[in-house]
Amino acid sequence: MFALAMRSIRQRPGRFAATLFSSFLGALIIMTFNSMHDTAAGAGVDDRSAETLTVAASVVGGYGSLLVFFAVASTLTVAVRQRSEEIELLRTTGATPAQIKRMIVGEAVAVALLGAALAVVPAMFGGQLLLDVFQDSGQVAGSVEHSFGAIALATGFDITLLASVGAAFLAVRRAGRAAGRRPGRGRTFFAYAALVAGALSVSATFLLDSDAEIMMAPPAYGAILLSVGCALFSTRILPGVLSVLEGPITALAGAGGYLTVRNMRQRAAQLSNVLMPLILFTGMAVATLYMQGVENDTVKASGLVKAADAKTLETLNYAVVGIIVAFCCIMLINTLYAATSYRVREFGQQRLAGATPRQVLAMVGAESAVLTVTGVALGSLTGFAGIVAFTTVRTDQVLPGQGLGIWLAVAGIAATVTIGTSMATAWRQLRTPAVEAVALAA
Amino acid sequence: MFGSKRDKTGASGRGTDEALRLVKVSKSYGEGESAVRALDGVSLSLGRGTFTAVMGPSGSGKTTLLQCAAGLERPDSGIVMVAGEEMGKGSEAELTKFRRRRIGFVFQQYNLLPTLTVAQNTVLPLKLAGRRIDKAKARSVLEQVGLAGRLKHRPDELSGGQRQRVAIARALVTEPAVVFADEPTGALDIRSARDVLHLLQEAVRVHGRTVVMVTHDPVAASYADSVVFLADGRIAGHMERPTVDAVAERLAHLGDDINGSDYAAQLGV
Repeated sequence: MFALAMRSIRQRPGRFAATLFSSFLGALIIMTFNSMHDTAAGAGVDDRSAETLTVAASVVGGYGSLLVFFAVASTLTVAVRQRSEEIELLRTTGATPAQIKRMIVGEAVAVALLGAALAVVPAMFGGQLLLDVFQDSGQVAGSVEHSFGAIALATGFDITLLASVGAAFLAVRRAGRAAGRRPGRGRTFFAYAALVAGALSVSATFLLDSDAEIMMAPPAYGAILLSVGCALFSTRILPGVLSVLEGPITALAGAGGYLTVRNMRQRAAQLSNVLMPLILFTGMAVATLYMQGVENDTVKASGLVKAADAKTLETLNYAVVGIIVAFCCIMLINTLYAATSYRVREFGQQRLAGATPRQVLAMVGAESAVLTVTGVALGSLTGFAGIVAFTTVRTDQVLPGQGLGIWLAVAGIAATVTIGTSMATAWRQLRTPAVEAVALAA
Repeated sequence: MFGSKRDKTGASGRGTDEALRLVKVSKSYGEGESAVRALDGVSLSLGRGTFTAVMGPSGSGKTTLLQCAAGLERPDSGIVMVAGEEMGKGSEAELTKFRRRRIGFVFQQYNLLPTLTVAQNTVLPLKLAGRRIDKAKARSVLEQVGLAGRLKHRPDELSGGQRQRVAIARALVTEPAVVFADEPTGALDIRSARDVLHLLQEAVRVHGRTVVMVTHDPVAASYADSVVFLADGRIAGHMERPTVDAVAERLAHLGDDINGSDYAAQLGV
């Protein structure tokens, strides 16, 4: 079965592009940040430099890793789900469930290993660049040499593999089961677990001293876990959102909107996989950017650092947070692309039933709009939970004084990326003649 | 080319007795040396209220013929007229709008939308065309195909034969000038296939629709009023009131004498 897995990767490299890309990018981020651990452990590194590096690696590297885990897992879930026809075909040709599981998990292992291996060299450069940024800002002594060692490699490979294999295992189990509509008990359990863990993590913020170095970690972990929980629950939230938005969608998008509503009701489970990176992006961007803003203001107000230093520190922190936010954004694009590009057959069937290309695009656009509204709302909520906890402990206020600007920018990017990627991908799919599109085999 | 004004006047071709007319339609695939001429100057005329089977060996061009006639493929040259209106060479949106009122489809693989119920699938073409949805009419069409009790089921809850009957209801609900069926019984068991063929026959005899069916099965072809044989992209013969044996006999000897020009001359095109 492993040989079959290898052959299926070789024959259709395009199908694995999305998963390969997400493992690559995930491993790159993890290795880059965790190489700071290796660097800090190097000989002749002074205490202050070592502390800065360790904090960066454990705070940002820590929640970054958790984020990568869920982002990679959601891309892979989308990819495996799309292959249900192929899995069905294998089953009818006599493959046992165990064989199918071995094939899908085998593929995931191969792709994850390849992605992580490809990420090693770029991560070495990435780590060097990150260290340069720290050194330029004076946070780390210029004499410190970048080191890329065991910790970077181990975490990079382990987390990428764990996320891929875990997601493949769960996804194939679901795909292998007969088409049941009800969300599995496992899903509900995971959803509650993520929400409880997230709430605990956010609450843990209150146990810390207001100037602890790792202050930003618990609310960030919390925001991620709450986002995951919300994404898992979105199968139940989406129908509610739909019933509210049904009127406006049908009025604005016409027959395309009619299809959107019916489609989304039936495909809530698939859509929740797309919602995961969207909620993560919104939640993470809102949480980390606002928290960083509060942190910067507090540092400035405290007068402990000179104004010029405060400015460099601010730039540094935004750069680090920016990397994580950009990663979330790319993963969102990647997942949306993967999810939409598999729908060429569905679009073909709609066109054969009399839908013009414009109506198909209207359907996809309306669908993305609903996803954006749901994702941004839930993401803002989870991000907000982290922000409130952080601000309360760090300052004597409850809400940050940053205004709505950041939130508007994040929501704007989320909407542009979600609607833009889906519609651009669908538009490309529409260039395939409808008759060919429906004939494309699994 | 075919704006909405004309749409209203010549909708189902009531002004003419000709449902479908092809004039010297040619279509090739590929380029240069490896090009395959799938259709080679095919001319054909079918009257309203007829049931025609298009037959031929694999690779004879029958599916290409159907797709060109139905506006799913653009022919390289030649003219396609449905209900007296020429099919333009405009954008896909224009072709789609042309097809909506004039053409219905039944495919071997059904092509129903899995997320819609039987009733929703049936009225989808009306919905997409922005036409008024006559619920009673839709129900009566579904009753006609024997699915009145399954309006709320989804395609994956139906058998192959039932799905094909939904596809037929969907093709008939817009009252098109021509219904094209591409191997409609190809994936069905004998009994379901017979039901589907009876339904197509009934659409012609009782409701006056025009049906063009591509098939390789002589039994299916025997349900039609006439059979057009294709070989190597050309019309290779014609048979009225076909029987299973006569069709099978003719198919077996189709390679012996390919003489398409006689039939075209006989039609006067």
